[in-house]
Amino acid sequence: MKLLVVEDEAKTREYLRKGLTEAGFVVDTAANGLDGRHLAMTEQFDLIVMDIMLPDLDGWRLLASLREAGNATPVLFLTARDSVSDRVQGLESGADDYLVKPFAFSELLARVRNILRRGLAPLSGNQLSVGDLTLDVSRRSARRGDADIQLTTKEFTLLELFVRRQGEVLPRSLIASQVWDMNFDSDTNVIDVAVRRLRMKVDDGHDIKLIQTVRGMGYRLDVRNELP
Amino acid sequence: MSSPKRPLPLAVRITALVGIAILAVFLVFGWLIERTIDQHFMEQDSAVLKEAAAVVEDILFQHWPAEDIDMLQRKLDRALPGRLGVICKLSKPSSEVIYASPEFRGRGSPGDLEVLTVITADNLRMWRDGQNLYRGIRLKLSAPEAAPSSYYLVTLALEISAHRKFMKSYRHTLWASTLLAALVGICGVWVGVGRGLAPLRRVSNRIRGVSSDRLHVRLELDAAPIELVELAASFNDMMQRVETSYQRLSNFAADIAHELRTPVTNLMTQTQVALSKGRGVEEYREVLYSGLEEFERISKMIDDMLLLARTESGLGRLSLEKVSLRQEVQDLLDYFEAWAEAQGVSLTLKGRCRKVRGDRMMLRRAVSNLLSNAIRHTPEGGTVSVSLCDTPGFAVVSVANPGPGIPPEHLSRVFDRFYRVDDSRCRTDEGAGLGLAIVKSIVEAHGGCIAANSEQNHTQFVMKMPGK
Repeated sequence: MKLLVVEDEAKTREYLRKGLTEAGFVVDTAANGLDGRHLAMTEQFDLIVMDIMLPDLDGWRLLASLREAGNATPVLFLTARDSVSDRVQGLESGADDYLVKPFAFSELLARVRNILRRGLAPLSGNQLSVGDLTLDVSRRSARRGDADIQLTTKEFTLLELFVRRQGEVLPRSLIASQVWDMNFDSDTNVIDVAVRRLRMKVDDGHDIKLIQTVRGMGYRLDVRNELP
Repeated sequence: MSSPKRPLPLAVRITALVGIAILAVFLVFGWLIERTIDQHFMEQDSAVLKEAAAVVEDILFQHWPAEDIDMLQRKLDRALPGRLGVICKLSKPSSEVIYASPEFRGRGSPGDLEVLTVITADNLRMWRDGQNLYRGIRLKLSAPEAAPSSYYLVTLALEISAHRKFMKSYRHTLWASTLLAALVGICGVWVGVGRGLAPLRRVSNRIRGVSSDRLHVRLELDAAPIELVELAASFNDMMQRVETSYQRLSNFAADIAHELRTPVTNLMTQTQVALSKGRGVEEYREVLYSGLEEFERISKMIDDMLLLARTESGLGRLSLEKVSLRQEVQDLLDYFEAWAEAQGVSLTLKGRCRKVRGDRMMLRRAVSNLLSNAIRHTPEGGTVSVSLCDTPGFAVVSVANPGPGIPPEHLSRVFDRFYRVDDSRCRTDEGAGLGLAIVKSIVEAHGGCIAANSEQNHTQFVMKMPGK
């Protein structure tokens, strides 16, 4: 998976490159809109992450010129400006997602993966499984080993999210917005409590703990127990 | 840059208007006097001429039809010069001159005088002869019993250059005095207006004293003339609003700096301590984690402050739709349920209310802040109860919880930014103290209002939103 990062602030650009590279992506960078456009037109990328406020050619115009040239590469906007009109403009202009600075890196990673996954065929079948955990999506039931797990509707939705995105770190904000449609930070530890309960139901009594806390980032479901 | 043309200064305008009025009054007055004097002279002249005409008639009719021209001439010579400068010319219809005063001799009287039969002030004519100016008349004199063809023409005139001279000097005097009076008047008005505008200058001097550190300036309404009271009152209102906003902004700025100081100090200190000597990987990791927590706190504060700034700029920036508050509350209760249960708090919802028009995300956020506050302050085993109802024009959401309650001295200030009831300023999982300020600004941006009331063991927040 090859990404292009267009960002004029050197420090931000370097850390995005480093973080995304370590997350397993191939990353090219551009420091301004014109270079970004040139790269986007001459090479094939799976996703472009770009800042809206660029010194020469701003994000809106860069995106518009790409779309005009028939380039349909997905775009994720980064912006320090946070207003409804910006958000609306961002999504109407054909951007695939939109992230407001300051953002958590885990949040960016989750959204990048989300956009990249869209292009793939949907996960087929009603059965999802990780290790000895199986989910039946249509019956909304879960089993671990040979025991049924009793879950509430929201707990099942949460577990399904973990399983579908196994191995990925899911930040609390993403969990809140995907499971409960809460797109803001409620300055409570609601998510921690919900995950803790789910973990009790899924992992208690098993040697392999599937649901793991990644300190400072969020939660992850993985069969390998590798803490950073 | 083309600026609109500046209107004339008030003092100049008033002075000019009053000056024009004074001039006009003087001119009309002068003209009236002139007319009157002129009229008076004409009456006087016509009286003199009437008398002269009577004399001439007498002399003529005594000797009608005049045979003895010499005697006639003598009689006229004797009679006329006594009549203050009346000159006379007597002729027959055949233009044969019978008698002429010395002024008429060798010269004809003006030939275009029409022949009249009566003398009034209005039908006198004027003509000039060299240096002299005459006012006179030409009459047809015939004896009552004479044949129509038998008559005399008599031209009588008065030399009036003296009148003219008098009128001329009168007019000079009039003009000079008019001008002088107008000048004096205008100067008086100028001084008067200057003094009259003094209160305005005083007001503007006071206003000039306003600066960002002297926003308390107010104009004294009692000391202002009645015409300026309204201006002064609206100025005072404006200053009140400006001062309040300014105060809030500068407090907010100070609070922001203060709030940011703590996490930034923590970050700097721990980073410097970490760098002061070599350490193990685990320790470095700890430092980074701890830094991350501080950054998250700062980031959250920035988000909240931006949100506040955005909602305070009004509804124009919100995306409006029809919102069912009951649905929103229901979703939020689902969301908080696990957390509340973990704290031993139960949640109830009762009642319904009409739909409101607003920004769904914002409203959800406002209710969420109320709920999380309530749950946080409820002792274990307590119940947070949300109830919905309608009052005329409003949908009402009230969130009540048992618990220690908010002391009255804090109650009015719970919606202030960065305000925390406990002075310990503990920063556990509480936010920066912006939660209720955000609720208030969202509710007010939607045209609603929010109030808190608290008793010994019960706290309630009531949010009223204008209904659809």
